[in-house]
Amino acid sequence: MRSLAVLIGAAVLAAPVAAADPPPKPKVETAHEVPYRLIDTKHVMVRLKLNGKGPFNLILDTGAPAVFITKAVAKKVGLTEDKKGWGEFDTFEFEGGVKVPKARGRVEDLFQLEGMNGMGLAGVELHGVVGYNVLARFRITYDFTADKLAFVPLDFDPPEPKGIGKGGGQGGLEMTGTIMKMLAGFMGVKPNFEVRPAGFLGVEWEEKKDGLFVKAVLKDSPADAAGLKPGDKLESVKSTSIDTGSDVKRAVAKAAVGDSLKITVTRDGEKKTLTAELGKGL
Amino acid sequence: MNTLKHFLAAVVLAGVALPCPADDKPKDLPAAMKPIVVPMEMLPSRHFVVPVTLNGKGPYRMILDTGAPLTLINSKAAKASELTKKTGGGGGLMGMLGGGLNQVTVAKMKIGEVECEKTAAVVMDHPTVQAISDAFKDEGGPIDGLIGFPFFGRYAMTVDYQKKELTFRPNGYKPGDYLQELMNNLMNADKLNKPKTVSAAGLWGFAVDKDKKDEDAGVTVKTVYAGGPADKAGLKAGDRLLTIDGRWTDSVGDTAVAVSAVKPGKAVPAVVSRDGKEVRLTVTPTTGQ
Repeated sequence: MRSLAVLIGAAVLAAPVAAADPPPKPKVETAHEVPYRLIDTKHVMVRLKLNGKGPFNLILDTGAPAVFITKAVAKKVGLTEDKKGWGEFDTFEFEGGVKVPKARGRVEDLFQLEGMNGMGLAGVELHGVVGYNVLARFRITYDFTADKLAFVPLDFDPPEPKGIGKGGGQGGLEMTGTIMKMLAGFMGVKPNFEVRPAGFLGVEWEEKKDGLFVKAVLKDSPADAAGLKPGDKLESVKSTSIDTGSDVKRAVAKAAVGDSLKITVTRDGEKKTLTAELGKGL
Repeated sequence: MNTLKHFLAAVVLAGVALPCPADDKPKDLPAAMKPIVVPMEMLPSRHFVVPVTLNGKGPYRMILDTGAPLTLINSKAAKASELTKKTGGGGGLMGMLGGGLNQVTVAKMKIGEVECEKTAAVVMDHPTVQAISDAFKDEGGPIDGLIGFPFFGRYAMTVDYQKKELTFRPNGYKPGDYLQELMNNLMNADKLNKPKTVSAAGLWGFAVDKDKKDEDAGVTVKTVYAGGPADKAGLKAGDRLLTIDGRWTDSVGDTAVAVSAVKPGKAVPAVVSRDGKEVRLTVTPTTGQ
């Protein structure tokens, strides 16, 4: 710390012209949290808004020399590409708020991604990859026990990559894509990427030694309409017997809005079976 | 389709019958596990190379690739480090379609000073790796493989291109068996054709909606249940919900994904737009549904 102070002192002394500027402070490193998903194909997926549009799903790929986006996405966000297929984004923002000024990307339909999308095995539709030219601007920590990645911006202008040909030679992705594409054609899968919230009940519970009990029922919620009361002991939901909160989560996991659920409770020593129609909500 | 299913079942069963390498974790993490720094060597293609020893042989130069779900080792390095014995897993279906995936377990893999026991790898002469190797072998020698998720997934890994350093800290994460999971997914291929239902991890007590023609950021809060966690946090019907815990909520599905990632009892920020101003709330979901 002492040598740093000396250094700063020296810098200020050596630059009397800049005396009007505030004295330089030691840089405080701020790590930005970027949400990610480890998708089913074991790729690290992040979401981005490009030129204000999106979000789009991209894979962080140290095996790629640059950002690549599909032609469809380029069209959607109005990215104009030069003769060599490169374009500069007006805005390039990671979910979590990290913005990259003057980010450049290549417009290319990577067959690797087409393969994975064709099969749907990633569980999400993929729109591109983030490679070296953007990754290198940050010190990134990948920790799959945490729910966010840590991005520390670096004062580093990464040199342009030297290509070795088509697709930039994306070893890892390529391998997956090839397999997937073959399988998709083989099995006739038409993947569905739609995400729906599970049906809503409106009940808060607490786990006790002798079982799971209703702690609170939200007013006007489906649980309220079904007649659940605080203090009820939950015995079964949809004929699944209930001991813990996870049991209810499992029983409701595939139930959609509008589904009816039979819920058996013990109240004042008596068993009662109630019917709840699941609603919209979280 | 029926015959195809039978056929697949038969092939996959053949695969399952073989012993399958498990990526077991180092069982006890030492109390004070220091992060280990490994230097990276940049290639002109902007891939980076790390020094790898396999069962004490090497070092080999390999590309660390976060886009690789598998670790690939070329046949030359595999032979020299005695990794030729098949241990199954990726046989059968993958073998047939992928041109023969020879999955092996590396007893000891070392990257710099980071030592990893019993990690899965596939022996493969991948054309892209070969092409990169050929293009740049005059600058440091040939490249013998790709280091993928089964290795780096076990660590909190920090990549610093400016310092040309990687830092690894064991974190207890188990990377699982990629090929096995892939096959399990394939056997449930019917699921891929249906929408996914996502469940909140806790109870929030609000509902959102969005018109199909509405392309603006966020979703509109339709209902806030009195006395619930969202109500207690100050969320109001009519608010435009923009993010939950840093995750964009640009559709009803997005919102479900965002709340599925927050454990009950954890206080997280929720940002809404209200009367043209951004308001930051703190919501703590409870246990419930």
